[in-house]
Amino acid sequence: MEYLSLFVKSIFVDNMIFAYFLGMCSFLAVSKNVKTAAGLGVAVIFVLLVTLPVNYLLNEYVLKAGALSWLGEGFADVDLSFLSFIIFIAVIAAMVQIVEMVVEKFSPSLYSSLGIFLPLIAVNCAILGGSLFMQQKDFVNIGEAAVYSLGSGIGWFLAIVSLAAIREKMSYSNVPAALKGLGITFITVGLMGLAFMTFMGISL
Amino acid sequence: MNAKIKETILNPIFKGNPITVLVLGICSSLAVTVTLKGALVMALSVIVVTGVSSVILSILRNTIPSRVRIIVQLVVVAMMVILVDQVLKSFEATYAIDKQLSVYIGLIITNCIVMGRIEAFALGNKPWPSFLDGVANGAGYGLILIVVAFFRELLGSGTLFGFDILGRFGYVTNNLVILPPFALIFIGCIVWLQRSIQKDLQEK
Amino acid sequence: MNTNSNVYTVIYTTIVVVVVAAVLALVSQSLKSRQEANEKADTVSQMLTAAGFGTKAEFGKMGNAAVLDKYASVLGEAFTINPSGEKVADLPSGKVFSPKELKALNYIIKDTEKALEAELPVFVFNNGCTVVPIYGAGLWGPVWGYLSFDGAGTVTGAYFDHESETAGLGARIKDDPSFQAEFRGEKPVWDAPEESHIFEIVKGGSPKAADGSEVLEDGRIDAITGATMTSNGLSDAINVWLRAYKAYFSAKAAVSACSIQEESCCCSGCEKSCCATCPCEKCCTSDDCKVSCGPECCSEQCGCCGEDCCKPNEVEE
Repeated sequence: MEYLSLFVKSIFVDNMIFAYFLGMCSFLAVSKNVKTAAGLGVAVIFVLLVTLPVNYLLNEYVLKAGALSWLGEGFADVDLSFLSFIIFIAVIAAMVQIVEMVVEKFSPSLYSSLGIFLPLIAVNCAILGGSLFMQQKDFVNIGEAAVYSLGSGIGWFLAIVSLAAIREKMSYSNVPAALKGLGITFITVGLMGLAFMTFMGISL
Repeated sequence: MNAKIKETILNPIFKGNPITVLVLGICSSLAVTVTLKGALVMALSVIVVTGVSSVILSILRNTIPSRVRIIVQLVVVAMMVILVDQVLKSFEATYAIDKQLSVYIGLIITNCIVMGRIEAFALGNKPWPSFLDGVANGAGYGLILIVVAFFRELLGSGTLFGFDILGRFGYVTNNLVILPPFALIFIGCIVWLQRSIQKDLQEK
Repeated sequence: MNTNSNVYTVIYTTIVVVVVAAVLALVSQSLKSRQEANEKADTVSQMLTAAGFGTKAEFGKMGNAAVLDKYASVLGEAFTINPSGEKVADLPSGKVFSPKELKALNYIIKDTEKALEAELPVFVFNNGCTVVPIYGAGLWGPVWGYLSFDGAGTVTGAYFDHESETAGLGARIKDDPSFQAEFRGEKPVWDAPEESHIFEIVKGGSPKAADGSEVLEDGRIDAITGATMTSNGLSDAINVWLRAYKAYFSAKAAVSACSIQEESCCCSGCEKSCCATCPCEKCCTSDDCKVSCGPECCSEQCGCCGEDCCKPNEVEE
């Protein structure tokens, strides 16, 4: 039950895009059509799902104040948490590299349509943000961290696919020339964000 | 040469603004624009990080092995960000602001502006122009941040830098403007305005 | 040189990582004491604000050293208690609890088994106010703060802080002195049964009798409009922590009054800024201050009288 509530919460209530506005760069740039958006969404889910539990273990057994105590008494006072940004980002960069190789091998068409945005997942704020929130939220075990990562990934996926669908429809609408493209997309995302705020009052 | 330097400095501030034209670094711009003070500190931190990390990577540009390019970039940027974070925490005057920005200081690492400018400029240019490019892009980003924060703090809280401005005229604050989606809508409006003036940026 | 060979790549990455780690370790070590000093001064000024010695903004302007001096001079005793309300041990001198330490305590309090062995901090100031911390989850991140009580277990002051509540909405628990002022004089329902609240932040606050004179319900504060989730989180935090302190305050009932509750001379002789911290809410000119302030004015809680009446030689009289 705990897991289910955490899962639903991380998809809707704590949605990476609409509640925290993380991962906006690629969110805005790759949402022109549904198919590519879905591809990137899946890649983000995957990277989050792998990096978050790994970073959780690193945080728990290496970085946190007193985390090294399993090495012996003398290490109980060591606090390496100032290194967490670097460690997290290194893990993420390495994972992205692996995902890139896998996608290239098994789905060349997806690889070419994602283009530059695959390596850019490394700097997708949603991924690093996920790890930093994990550190802040203090999950009690790796299961919670994994459920949270899956939920946030799916939330991100839903967000980008729905924006892409709206933008596909919107290309037939009459938008003032100066507002076309980027401008109206910003405003659309803003309105979607307001809509998602209604989930906030739900207690699970 | 002079004209080129001028171009390097002025282009990112208006015509090639990282937020409104290149769509980079949106994430952090949303969260920190509720108060002018937060926006100002964030802008300065980003300027320092982009400027200095551009110089470092520009000096190293001929020695970096291409396979680990992204990781080396991220490590250098992450180091700069941690330094900024640690320094802000250490001074009595900035401690309170650092507390307020918390997670978002860390997210400068994944601020696409930093990585984007390093990829696109610093790795192909000498240190001095790279420094100017980094600083100018940081400034262009900061400019949008400050404009958005100005309106959000004024309309949302009736204050500027915490001083009561509209409240004394009986202004009832608009809580909607404080919510993150309104940052997007404001940026959308800025994009609209900019593209109305610069017709060549309009999308077909 | 071939920058793409394996050996080069490995050596290069190693050097970069070692250099970066060394720089960071050096900086983090050398700045650590300053950072901890900042955090401690911040925590101390929160407790002093709750206990009624000034406002957070004033402490912010005083600088770290002055805040810590003030704290040392007004702190009576600091000790830990167990859930039965008995004193366990004195806290080391100058010990305060950082948000991280409060978080650890929060886990213990919420765990039904471990809670029996919890050691909860109590800070008694020499104006008679007893300050205890609270900690819990807001909307986005943790919220925490300090509540000050008089001997009878009535709240005399409060200060709250948060990590990432929405600025202008949830963040008002910290930024809005009028919200914190609402806590003053509110009496928690110490004998509330398990299923109801000792203290609650709800829409509407305490219902009052028709003529507005009589408060019908104790321990109820009006929630912040537009920040229901933050208000609920804070409400839960206060409730959980006060339940842990229940035995202590029930046993202690009707001992010393927290002196800022009294009409001290300070309140009849101060400038407007004073009224934020004084319960009597009279604003007066500094001329009044000279007339009505005796030497006792110069005690700690009357710092607001300023130089007009608090010259050192008068203190000695």
